[in-house]
Formats: sequence, C-alpha cells, structure tokens
Amino acid sequence: MFEGIVRFGNALLMFLNPWDLFNVIWSTQLGIIVGMLPGLTATMGVALMTTLTYKMAPANAVLILMCMYIGAIYGGSRSAILLNIPGTPANAATCLDGHPLALQGKAGEAIGLATTGSFLGSLFGMFMLAFFTPLIGNIALSFESFEFFWLCAFGIVICGNLTAPKDPLKGWIAGFFGLFVATIGMEGMHAYARFSFGSVELSGGIALIPAMVGVFGFSETLMIMKQPKLELIDSKIERVIPKIHDIIKYWKTILRSGVIGTIIGAIPGVGEDIAAWVSYDFARRASKEKELFGHGSKEGLLAAETGNNACVPGAMIPVLSLAVPGSAPAAVLLAAMFIHGVRPGPLIMIEFPDFIYQVVAMTLLATFAMFILGLSMVRTLVKVLTIPREKMMPFVFVLCAIGSYAIQSRMFDIYVMVVFGIIGYYMRAMEYPVAPTVLGIILGDLLDKNLRRALILTEGGIIPFFTRPISLILIFLIVLTIVGRTKAFKRVLSVASMKVKKIFRKPKY
Amino acid sequence: MSKGDFLTSIGLFIFALAIIILSLQMPRYEGLGVESYSVPGIVPGLLGVILLILSIILLIRSIKRKGYRLGMSTEMVKKYITNDSTRNFLITLILCLAYGVFVLKRIPYVLATGLFVFFFVIIFEFRPRENISSQKRTILASFIEAFFVSVGVTLVFRYLFLVDLP
Repeated sequence: MFEGIVRFGNALLMFLNPWDLFNVIWSTQLGIIVGMLPGLTATMGVALMTTLTYKMAPANAVLILMCMYIGAIYGGSRSAILLNIPGTPANAATCLDGHPLALQGKAGEAIGLATTGSFLGSLFGMFMLAFFTPLIGNIALSFESFEFFWLCAFGIVICGNLTAPKDPLKGWIAGFFGLFVATIGMEGMHAYARFSFGSVELSGGIALIPAMVGVFGFSETLMIMKQPKLELIDSKIERVIPKIHDIIKYWKTILRSGVIGTIIGAIPGVGEDIAAWVSYDFARRASKEKELFGHGSKEGLLAAETGNNACVPGAMIPVLSLAVPGSAPAAVLLAAMFIHGVRPGPLIMIEFPDFIYQVVAMTLLATFAMFILGLSMVRTLVKVLTIPREKMMPFVFVLCAIGSYAIQSRMFDIYVMVVFGIIGYYMRAMEYPVAPTVLGIILGDLLDKNLRRALILTEGGIIPFFTRPISLILIFLIVLTIVGRTKAFKRVLSVASMKVKKIFRKPKY
Repeated sequence: MSKGDFLTSIGLFIFALAIIILSLQMPRYEGLGVESYSVPGIVPGLLGVILLILSIILLIRSIKRKGYRLGMSTEMVKKYITNDSTRNFLITLILCLAYGVFVLKRIPYVLATGLFVFFFVIIFEFRPRENISSQKRTILASFIEAFFVSVGVTLVFRYLFLVDLP
C-alpha cells in the first residue's frame, strides 16, 4: 500500500515538468474538441493520435493518449447538450437531460454539471484503478493457458452481449469475426501463414491500428456524409461554474454512477456508452425526482457523465492487469503500449512495476486538465461545432490514411484501413456492434496460443478446462450470459421471482 | 432489417464454410512428430464452426421473420440510388477509394492529398445551377484548405515524424 503511494508520488513528480504539462494541456484540449465534434469518436482520436506519437518516449506518448481519451469522452457532452447529438457514443445518455436543460436556457449550467460529473467520475475511477490493478494483476499471476482461453471467450461473449443489447447474436458474430481476423497471417507455433494466399503482406497479419482506424475512422466518415446536415441551435451560455448545492444534493448518484462506471469499464470491450446508460438507468430508478428524467434532470445529467468518465480508468484496469481492453479506446491504448515496448498483462508488476502508477498519475493530470479546460473557453469552443462536415471529413480521411501508413510505411496498411472501413460501415448499417470485432482482433492471438498450449499440456484432454476454480467461474459467467438472453430463462426467472415474492409476502390478518 | 439479416446470414454461412474448408486443408505436420493439437488449422477451424452455427441461427430467425421476401424491384433500386444520402455516401466512398487505393501510390503525396481535399470540398459545396462568379469564395476556400492540409500533413509527417511518404 505504502509502496504504491510512493510509486504514484514519484510518477506524478516525473510528469510535473513544463514539457509534460504542456502536452497534457494541448492533448486534453484536442480531446475535448474531437469529442465535441459529432462523428469524431474517442477511439478515432486515440487511434489517430497513436500514429502521431509513435516516435515519442513511451511515457510521453501514453500520457498524450490518456489525455486525448479522457478529454474526448468528456467533450462529447458539449454537442449532446447543445445539439442533442452525442459527440461520442458515450454521451448518448447525456442528450436526454442535457439538451432539455439547454432548451430551458440553462446550457451553461448543464455544461458545468457535466464537467463536474466527468471530473468526479474520472477521479473515482482513478482511485479504483490504483487500488484494483495491482490486486487483479496478482490474481492474474496464477492464470494458466486454461484461464486465459476462457477469459478471451468470456470477453467476446460479454462484449457481444452488452454492446448489442437488442440483439446479442449480432454482437457474438462480430466478436467471433474479430477472432477470425486475428488468425490471418503467420501463427506463432509453426510459423505457418494462415489465410495469406501467397501474399507476403497478408502473411504478416492484419495490424490492429489500420483495422481500427478503418472501423472507427473511415466507416464513421462514410456514416456522417450519409446523414443529413446538422444545425447548431443558438443557445445562450451564461454561468458555467456549477452550484456546490447541486453537487452535494446528488452525492449518492455521483458515487453510485462512479462505481457502476468503473465496473462496466473493467468488463472487457464494453465501454463508456453502456456505462452511461446503466448509470442513468440506476439513477432514474433510485431518484426521488423520477418525473424530471428526460425533461432536464440535473441528477440524470450527472449520472450519465459521471458514469461514462468513471469508465475510462475502469477500462484501464484489465488493460494493465490482463492485457484485455475494457473499451474500444482502451484497445487502441493497449496496442499503443505494445508499439512503445510496454507489455501490459499479468507480468506488468514484475516487468514494469512503475507503469501502473504512471498511468494513475496520467489519469490524475488529464482529469484536472479536463476540469479546468472544461470550465473555461466554453463560448469560444462552441464555434468549433459550426465547422461543416464537408470541410472536416476530407481532413479526417487524410489523417486516417497517413496514420495507417506511418507506423510501418507500407501501402498495404492503407488498403487494410479502407477494407475495414467498408466492413465497419456495413456492420453499422446492419446494426452489428464494431467493438466486439476490435476486441476479437486483440484477443485472437491470446486465445489461439493458449488454447493450443493447453491442449498440448493435456495431450488433447478437455477435462482440465472445466475443473480449475477460475475457469469454472468464467464458464459459469459465459453460460449465464448466453442463457440469460433466452426467452425460456427469462420466463423461468419471472416465475421464480413471483414465487419468492409470494413466500415473503406479509400475511393479511 | 430481416431482409438484410437473411442476405448477411447466407454470406456468413458461405464465409464460415470457406474458413472450415481452408482450415482442414492446413498442414498437420504428422511426419514431423508435431503434437496434433498444436496444428495451425485447429483454432480457425473451431472459429469457422462457431460462425457457421451463428449464421444458421441468424438464417432461421430471418426466415421466421419473412426476411426471404426480398421484394426487390427496379423502382426500389432506382429510388435508393437517387436518394440524397445514398448519393452522398457513394461520392464519399468513390473519392476515398480513388485517393487511398489508386492515386496515393501513383502521384506525389502532397499533390494527391491536395487534389483529394480540393475535389472533396468542391463536389459537396459547389452548386452547379448557380453562377460561378457567386461561388468564387467556395472555390477559394477549398483551395486554401487543400493547400494547408496537404502541405501541413506532409511537413509534419515528413520532417517531424521522419516518415517516408507514399
């Protein structure tokens, strides 16, 4: 515990120099702008920024990416409040109460509340990150191939389930498709080039960054150009600093949303949008002012924004301790860490013990930068929303192309970006979530190696896959996730709950 | 959506079948004494089977929802193609494909990027029915944006990140 505080203090001191603070300010501000602009998501911002920072020292590059991530998730609340269009999918729940507040002439107040909620959520998540990452990391040290295999399967199933709540089947298809993509190219055991059809480039595999830039960048460009033009509503922005009374009044909601956001963030591949919706839903159920929800409830706005920003540090917990991303932008961060030679995962506490606390310090700096920048220059920044998409999208595509090319200097990566952009567009049009595909591309190699390694260890026996305690827990969760979505299970559950209620019902005398 | 699901499930079924066949054709290194459970085709084969099962479930579900009644007519296709949003999508796709796949590797980066940005903005902002002289500002703005984006990105990547541009 004490050792952790010392490491955190050292990491914080390391970043407290003019150059790093300058990087914190511009990257957080850029993140806020990227988040504000509908269509430019946090994932796209972090992916493009990865290509711009890959020549930097690891700590500096990851610091900039963290600032971009936290800034973008917060920044999306601006357009949600002012335009009723979420800047990033994470801010969809913010629209429900943020925009009605703006229509009531309280746009400044709504922005202030969103900023404070995001700040407190991010801060809460940061404490959870500092506390749970070493703890989970120590548990993960006992993981063997069997557990890693089930962890990958669990990640895909739960991610598919939560990112496609209406139709989990599509989420699972997307996830298993991602796992398949990861098997393209030379495999690690016998150096056989799978599905490469004699192509030298394909035998090197599908690189994550170009695929992600395609799925989140190019497909987004196509989507935005297809949609009708947005019109900025002229809202007056007055007082931005929130009232302390409002924050104290809703402290329970803030705390609850912080916990929910962090937990959802820690679930592989799920992400900030689900965190915000679940936080919002829980806040509505527990609220004494239910009737205000959807009509400009400050509590609803705080719940959504606290939840989505608490999710950011939460998503970093599995990244650092298990090398499994908690969200799509965290997946890019994971890839960026590998590019910079940092190997997150169970061995991080042994190989890079200071890195976890450096990430905690980065989160703290980014959170404070977001809070200060979020409450200043509000009126000036709103003008960014008036940039027409016809002028912005060609620039975005130019960055997608050069960003994909820059890492390995090969045209093939631009083609990968284009192909995955078209696949991503089709998936979105057909209502398939793209996050499980990205998670699949990341987990594919881990699943492939660990399944085969485990089968070699057991000489083809599958019994050990089902007898180890951690494996059993993961299998139980996988089965529960799949069976839980069937109509029969829901029927059984409702009958059982009715019977339980009958038993505990007070007898009338 | 059930029509789309029906077509997707057929495509996915064929795709999954192809994965299984190609996985079965992968070497098993039996002569080398390699552990049979470590062969390259085992994981893709397994994923192929899972995708096949999922595609069958999707197919059955879409058939139950009458997704097989595609009801395609030339009028419908014509209406879809002439739709404003479809037109915008197709123009964007063609411009991006032309730039990313064909132009970038044939002409210098700075010129290719400048042309792409210029034409992208012009195609979407230029009003052919209006007088050209009244749209001088649009043309000038497109040119300025194209110049700054192409030169700026080239300078940053070429000299700051030392990337050998395409």
